[in-house]
Amino acid sequence: MADILGVVFRRFASGTVTSDVIFPPDAEANTLVLGDVNISRSVLFLAAVTAATDLGLKVLFFTQTPFQSLPSNTFFFMHVHLQNVKLVYVKTLEELVEDIASLHELASPPSLIIVDGLDHYLHRSRVRPLQDDLSPVAHVAALLHDTAAFLSQILQNRADGQGLCRVMVSFQSECEGSRDSEALAPELLLCVLDRYLQVSGGGICQSCVLRWYSSGTWCCWQEVLWSSGSFHTKNGITNLPWLVVHKFNTFGLTFRIKNT
Amino acid sequence: MDLQRTYSETNQIPDLLIALRFVFGQCALQALDLVDQRSVTCLSSPSGRKAFQVLGGSGRLLYTCFTSCHYCPCPAFSFSVLRRNESLMCKHLLAACLSQAMGLCQQEQVSDQKMTHILSGQTGAST
Repeated sequence: MADILGVVFRRFASGTVTSDVIFPPDAEANTLVLGDVNISRSVLFLAAVTAATDLGLKVLFFTQTPFQSLPSNTFFFMHVHLQNVKLVYVKTLEELVEDIASLHELASPPSLIIVDGLDHYLHRSRVRPLQDDLSPVAHVAALLHDTAAFLSQILQNRADGQGLCRVMVSFQSECEGSRDSEALAPELLLCVLDRYLQVSGGGICQSCVLRWYSSGTWCCWQEVLWSSGSFHTKNGITNLPWLVVHKFNTFGLTFRIKNT
Repeated sequence: MDLQRTYSETNQIPDLLIALRFVFGQCALQALDLVDQRSVTCLSSPSGRKAFQVLGGSGRLLYTCFTSCHYCPCPAFSFSVLRRNESLMCKHLLAACLSQAMGLCQQEQVSDQKMTHILSGQTGAST
């Protein structure tokens, strides 16, 4: 996902981003986006639109809540390649699982599968997870992995050569209002997600972590960390943390490199 | 890979049994029982999608396991592997791996729609 998110960050960056920053071409496919739900949602949508427009990928975007407004940066995308982004509104975990399980039936499979707010699906499962039962989250994560692996094989066999199906999931580790004494600890859920999505460790995967900071009255700074990924520059490999600026007055997102 | 090669050459895996027992403990013997009973079926659909179904030891429940990653819906996997991180696999997953390596899976063709239901856990003993 580093290539897709790299394009997003570069396209919507401001300030000191230099044009010679390039990204690892063989980055691992999956990304887990943690943190503030509104920021995550905007980043996911920008990734979807960017993947469809800049990289020509077919995107499936699963979400519970219809978009009431869009990040203003995306308006110029609307008439370009938005038809390659399919928004799928599913309410329950069971419906999400069934839709993912059916992707092998598609004549034209997606190259990017995005699941917005997986924590909300898990907390609102019709079959309430038993205490200490990690099966529901393991099932959906393993199914995503297995589906992406299968679709990657299909895509690799095709003439266009876009041979990778990627997965991008957002997960808010603290689900407001739904944490109760019987809920599983977020750390356990994240461990299971990491097991199947393989977003951390190994040096070839990356997690996208959005942390919320409050600063001033008109904008809030978010920090995006690449925990094990790196950005290549002309002079070698450099780890560059990014800052996400969310301007509430325009609902737009811009990104800027944090000076260290 | 070692098991597959040894079995294809000699039709036996005596030395590897010790290694299996060492790594997987009691689970290895239970898995081998399932292999002996031909409890593992490899399902295929016209789309090319595949999955394993393992008949549990009681003979009543079917567990659907994926081909590309270690997942089983059984309680033992959820507790011992995911939560406690005490085991690498449950007996169903190990049986599926062993059966595949030794070519002892039963084969079954299902429709794409049936495969969707199986993968989503609507049949068998999934979540």
